[in-house]
This record gives sequence, structure tokens and C-alpha cells, in this order.
Amino acid sequence: MLPATGKVKVLFRIALRNLAAGRARTAIIGTILLVGTLLVVVGSSLVESVDRGMRSSIQGSLGGQLQVYDARSKDELALYGGMGREPLLEPIVDFSRVKAELEKVPNVKRVIPMGIDQALVATGNQIDVALERLRADVRRLEAGEDDPELRRRYQAHQAHVRRMVTLLRDDLKSARALADDELLRERKRDGDDLARAASDDFWAGFERDRLAGLEFLENRIAPQGMEGGMTYVRYVGTDLDAFMEAFDRAHVVEGERVPSGHRGILLGKWYAEEYLKIKNARRLDKIKDARDFQRRRIATDEELRRWVKENTNQLSEIQMQLDPLQAEEAAARLRRGLGSAERDLSRLLVELFSTTDADFEKKYRLFYDELAPLLQLYKIRIGDTITIKAPSRSGYYSSVNVKVYGFVEFRGLEKSRLAGVMSLLDLMTWRDLYGYLTKEKAEEVRALRDQVGARQVPRESAEAELFGGGGPAVEKQRAGRIDEAALLAGIARPARTQDLAAQAYSQEEIDRGVALNAALILRDPSRIRATMEDVERASRRAGLGLKVVDWQKASGLVGQSVTMFRIVLYTAVLIIFAVALVIINNAMVMATLQRVREIGTMRAIGAQRRFVTAMLLVETAAVSLLFGVLGAVLGAAALWAVRAWGGIPATNDQLYFFFSGPALLPALGTTGVAVSLGLVLVVSMLSGFYPAIIAMKVTPVEAMAADD
Amino acid sequence: MSAPIVSVENVFRTYRLGKSEVQALRGVSLEIHPGEFLAVAGPSGSGKTTLLNLVGCVDTPTSGVVRVDGRDTSALSERALTDLRLRRIGFIFQSFNLVAVLSVFQNVEFPLLLQGEATRKEREQRVLALLDAVGLREHARHRPSELSGGQRQRVAVARALVGRPRLVLADEPTANLDSTTGATIIDLMRDLNRRDGTTFLFSTHDQKVMSHAHAVVRIADGQLQARETLNPAA
Repeated sequence: MLPATGKVKVLFRIALRNLAAGRARTAIIGTILLVGTLLVVVGSSLVESVDRGMRSSIQGSLGGQLQVYDARSKDELALYGGMGREPLLEPIVDFSRVKAELEKVPNVKRVIPMGIDQALVATGNQIDVALERLRADVRRLEAGEDDPELRRRYQAHQAHVRRMVTLLRDDLKSARALADDELLRERKRDGDDLARAASDDFWAGFERDRLAGLEFLENRIAPQGMEGGMTYVRYVGTDLDAFMEAFDRAHVVEGERVPSGHRGILLGKWYAEEYLKIKNARRLDKIKDARDFQRRRIATDEELRRWVKENTNQLSEIQMQLDPLQAEEAAARLRRGLGSAERDLSRLLVELFSTTDADFEKKYRLFYDELAPLLQLYKIRIGDTITIKAPSRSGYYSSVNVKVYGFVEFRGLEKSRLAGVMSLLDLMTWRDLYGYLTKEKAEEVRALRDQVGARQVPRESAEAELFGGGGPAVEKQRAGRIDEAALLAGIARPARTQDLAAQAYSQEEIDRGVALNAALILRDPSRIRATMEDVERASRRAGLGLKVVDWQKASGLVGQSVTMFRIVLYTAVLIIFAVALVIINNAMVMATLQRVREIGTMRAIGAQRRFVTAMLLVETAAVSLLFGVLGAVLGAAALWAVRAWGGIPATNDQLYFFFSGPALLPALGTTGVAVSLGLVLVVSMLSGFYPAIIAMKVTPVEAMAADD
Repeated sequence: MSAPIVSVENVFRTYRLGKSEVQALRGVSLEIHPGEFLAVAGPSGSGKTTLLNLVGCVDTPTSGVVRVDGRDTSALSERALTDLRLRRIGFIFQSFNLVAVLSVFQNVEFPLLLQGEATRKEREQRVLALLDAVGLREHARHRPSELSGGQRQRVAVARALVGRPRLVLADEPTANLDSTTGATIIDLMRDLNRRDGTTFLFSTHDQKVMSHAHAVVRIADGQLQARETLNPAA
């Protein structure tokens, strides 16, 4: 061994033994540093993992890597909604130019047109549906058809309507018990109407004049069925084929894709579950989720108990759907499934929905296996044509009918509200709603003008233009539902729904028109920055006037939350390390002062200044590194343990989005480890600096001082 | 007579205490020759510690010249002074001043490690030889806190001698010990002086301790009074 290494060795020996000797001090310093590094490692790893999750969620569901929109827009693009409303964007008038120019940028793989908006959608009303069935039977009977099967169905449908009337009357009665006088007066006529519709006289009269009876039911009773009506839908109007290819997380879970070039809508699966499903079924699903994924129990969880209670109280939605034949069948199935002798369906339903932890799974299965096939689970069915109404650019309400082809879901984001609330609408329909002039609209306007100036055009062709050869009313199968919305729509009345639904558009027609923003999918997603500049340059060169933002900026508040997390984390880290700096510095100064005689002795014996300085620095560095590494290792272990336990569960739908799945599996971030150890070294050096200076100033004379 | 190891020529040392100045030494001259076993005696505040500090190169004079091993200490840098202490001077302190976290062996070895010249084997030989000489070989692995005061001071003596210094300075080496123990320490120092010819300079105010020295210089009010030769070296 070289003699000089002995000096270094003794320096380390003294430093380390001093640490061991000052156990309390070392423990305090160590704990602070350990907690600090632990926090940095765990915290930054979590933030990085959330960042990765969000990146994946946003890029894979809607954002792509870059987004472009008109630079003159008042608001900033916010893919997931802004502060309470959709941002106002200036339209890109001709998307095809944007597509053509931006696809020339080498790293741009695809340009997907988009227009995001919210609108009202009519969800229908159970009485309307039942009356519609009855009217179809009546129509055939009036037309002279008659066979036992038709008779049987007619009877069942009639009984269904009677049942609904009875249920509505009972609802109103119980509401009366709670209501004040004014409400009573207001609803007196409703009550009278219901009483009339429930009476045997009415139904005896119905056989004599079926059409008049239907008229009364449709005008006076149907509006009282409250459960239908309008709900909001949030959609992105887009080139559906291109979208499905670009965002491979999107997939149709039920139904089918909208055929190429056709009009149609794919409803968000989550949206359908939350807003369109029978409430009782939705609550059962939520209880199941809570039990399975959050290990919550009905017996101990207030919210679950409330859901169970709501399920037993709110049965009319289910009962309304069942005509007497179905109700009988449902009761029979429930008796079998529950092993009950009860005859009354509503009591059987109460029994079914009075779930406890013990029988929940069994009753859940019973509901879905036996009862659900008799019900229409969602207010909108695949294959239905729905009416969407949105305020258009020109201020009036646009209203279009569009066929529902299926439910769409984003893989890994199944339970996220932010992703799952989004429905996918074809671009042509979106343009109609948006109110920007499309070819068909232009034609329609021309037709209207032609009608006003009737002399210019032969009367026959004007009529054909106006009503689009819409065919007889019979073809509008669900006229009762559609008409109301269509009437509200005023002049934007949907013309030629049938034609439009059948029409296929070419890619050119889809591209040539208005869009609000466009997602860019990059060939190499890691080169976002560089490509952003290329795209900006291309936009300037072609005079497109586009603003280019990355996925994070495009996602609005949602995307900034990671930045927020980061700021909070690093502020906390900074505070901890600042405190650590002060405490370590203080402790080391105290320790140094206590050792002045010892240091003086060493200096007297012949130790140079740098020896004692190094000794103190080694002491702080050793304690810092030891506990810093320990903290980092503990942090890594904690992360490993979290992963081994299945990650941090996404307990609400927002977390689902942040985590990009049902649980966050935090990965150890190299940045976290590097930053924490770097911080520890900096802190230890800074806090060791002053004590080292004190040590350097100790003169050998101190050694001579006598004991006091 | 051989050249002195230490020569002090008309040295003044003034300290500043607040606004007033304290003259600790006022024109002191002294020569110390190899092999001497010299005591500095005087009441506290007389300037003995100041004199030892100057001779021990931990302090430099306000005026006058202190030469140690032929070198003017006022002309040396801090590093050179430290090196001079490391290689030429051994220290024994009133309060022993051992490094608490090091064992007896390691304390004695410490100056050798600082010198960085001896190999591990040489160090071990020298340390153990000295521990034998001070009678503490069995305590080599003990920590200073496990030893009595006298034992600790013997470790300090061993540490002072391990680097083979030309001069060993001891400031009141017996002040923290009872008189019997103190006497044995002085005897030990004297034995080592005889055996190896190492020069010793120690301060004391104890008559009995003084009586073991070859010679005593008395100091009072910062001035040397006289040099009495008691027991000339054999």
C-alpha cells in the first residue's frame, strides 16, 4: 500500500467514526435527506409516469402529436373542453389545402380534420315508443288487416300503454302528497287527463275510434312521460376512416364502423353508459366496479348504500318499458332467479335491487342474464337515427338526423370521462351542424329561393327539391320522436334524411370544406419540437395562417395538469432541501465547534488545513450520500412495491385518464434518481462549506487551551 | 557545544485584547540544545504558554527571531510551519488531546500517516515499540475514553515521539494529573530523553515536577529570570 493512501484512509476513518459517534445528529440529518430523496424519487417517478400516461391518452385518443388551427382564433384550442364551454375557433375554410401543404412536411404522416362541439340530442320517450308501436298496429287494423297474431300484439301494446298511464297516475299521486297548492292546480289537468286515460270507459271508446284515442294519448299523455327529452352529446366531427386509422386506440365495441364516406355517428361508449343507459343498470355497474376495483363494500360504504336505495326506489324506468306480456315474463324469470313466490313485479324488482355484499354478484348476473334481454338498455339503440341540434354559426339552430352505427371506445381509457364522453361524427354532418355552407346546404338554400320565386321553376321540380322525394310518411318509422325536434329546428329542418344517409362522399368532398382544427400524426413522435417548426414554416410558406401547438398545449387545462403537478412537487422538494440545507449546515457547524480542540490538535501535530477541511466535507458528503442513496433505494423499493400490488388504482374517471388505464404503474424515473442524488450532493457541499471554513480557521493554538 | 535546535532572540509577543494590548513576552532570549530536558517555570499568565507556542511553531513573534531547526519561523508560510511541526516537533498537551474516535494504536499512528513516508509495516513496528515503551501495548485497541488520565497522557507521549521529532514540547503535561501520576509521566519523558536523546521542553508551575529537569528557566511578566542547572545530563 502506498504510504499516502494511509492519510486518505485515516481521513475517512475519522469522518465516518465521527458520524457514528454523533448518532443523534447523523440520524436527524439522515432522516431529512432520506425523506427528501425519497420524495424526489417517488414524486418525480409518479409525475413522469402520469406524464407518460397522459401523453399516451391524449396522443392516442384525440390529440395526435401536433394540432393546428386558425391563428386568428379568439380562444386557444382545448380538445377536452375549455372553461365551461367549447373554445371559439375561427374555421379553416378549406381543409384540403391544409392537408395538402402539411402532408408535404417530411415527418407528418397524417392530417386529420376535426371539429369539436357539443349539441343537444333527443333521446326519446318510452310512451312515445309504446304509442308508436300501438299506432303501427292501429294503422294495419284500420287498413283492414286482421289476424290473431296482430290482434294479440295489439292487445299487448294497448295494455302496455294502459300500464304506463297507470304508472304515471300513481307517480303523480305520490308527487301530490308532497306538492304545494300551486303545483296541484297546475297539474290538475294532467291528473284529469291521466284519470281519463286510465279509465275503462276510455279504453272501451278506444275500440270505437282508435285514431281519436291515439290523438288524445299522444297530445295529452305522452308529454307527461318525463324521462325522455334532450341530453347533451360532445362529438368530434372528423374524417372517420382517417381517424380510426390514425388513432388506433379507438375501436368500435358494439355495432360497426360507419361505412366509408357515409354519414353516421359512433357514440362514445362511456357516454352511452353514463347518459343513455337505464339508470338502474348503470348503478349496478357502478356498484360492481366499486366492489371489484376499489374493494368497497355495500355494508360499509355510504355511497354504495345510496345507490342500492335509489335502485329500489326508482323502478318506473324499467316498468314503463315492459308491456304486460313482457312484464309477466319478467316476473316469472325473477321468481325463478330469486326463488320467490311473489306475484307482483314491482316487489320482485325491489327484491332484485335490494343487493347486499353477499348476494350482489348473483343478482347482478340475474339482472343482465334474465331481465336485461327484455329491456332496451340504452335510450338510443344502434341503428337508430337520432336528431342532433346545435347552434350554428349563423345563430339559428341547425338540426340534423344521423344514424347511430355503434359505440366507440378508446383502449385503456374505457372509464375516462374525458375520453369516453366523445362521440365520433362524420365530417359532412358536422359541417351541417356547424352551419357552414356545404354543397347540399347550398342546394337546399337555392331550392328555398326557388320556391319563393316560384315562377323561375316548374312547380313539380321545386317540390321535389324542397321535400327531397322524402317518400310517404310511413317510412319515417319513428316520426313521433323525430318530428318534435325537427319542428323546433325551424328553417334548418332536415331535408331528405333518407337520401343523405344513403349518400357516399368521395375523399375529395370530405377534405374540401370547413374544419376547426387538425391533428397531425407524426412518423417519428419523438421529434415533436423540430416538426413543429417545420409545420410552422410550411404554414407560413403556403399562407395558411395556422397556429401550431403540441398535444399538451392542445389539450387545454387537462394537459397543463402535469405541469402543475411538477411545479407542486418541485416546490415541495425545494422547500425540503432548503430546510435540509439549513439544518445540516447548523448541525455541522455545531459539530465543528465542539471539535475545535480536536481540530486544533491535528493542526498542531502537523495536519494541513486542507486535511481538516476535507475531513469535514467527507463527513457531510458521506452522510448525504449514504442517506441519499438509501432514500433513492427506498423510493425505488416503494415504487416496486406499488407495481407489485397492481399499481395505484384509478379511483375516479379523471385519474383513469391521467393514468391512461385502470391503474398507474409507476416506473422508476432516471431523472428522479439523478436529480435527487444531484440535489443531495449540492446540498451537502453547500451545507458542509461553512463548517469547513470554520475548521480551516481553527489554529493549533486552540489545542493548547487548558480544560476549564 | 552543538548548534541549538531552538534559538529565541530578543522576542516580543503582543496580543490585542479588545482595545488594550497585552505584552505576553518582553525581550526573551533562549537557546535549547539537543538532548536537553528543560523546564519552563512560572506562575500562570507569566508567558510560558506563549513561549512554548512560539517554539512550537504554532505562533510567530511580534518582533525578534525564533529559529527552529535553523529556520526563522516568521519567514515561513503556514504550510511550511505545519510541515515543520509535523516533521520536527512533537506535542504533549495539558488535556491529552487524543482523537476520541481513534483507538490508542491509531492515535499514535496518526502523525506517521500525516507524514506519509513510513510503510504500513514500519508504522506498526514503530507504534508498537513506543506503546511498549510507555507500557500500553495491551491497550492498543482501546479507545481513549476507556483509559485513565495517566494512561491517556502516556499515549500522548507515544504520539509525540512516534514521528521521531528533534524536539518535544509539553505544556503543563502534569496539570491534569495527580502528583504521583504526574511524576511517572515526567519520569517516562526523562527515560525517553535519556534513551533516544530526544530534546524536551516542558512548562510547569509544580516544584516537584521541575526538580526532574536538567535545567529550569524561570519566567515572570514575560521576561526570563534565570536559567538554573539542576541535574546536568548524565
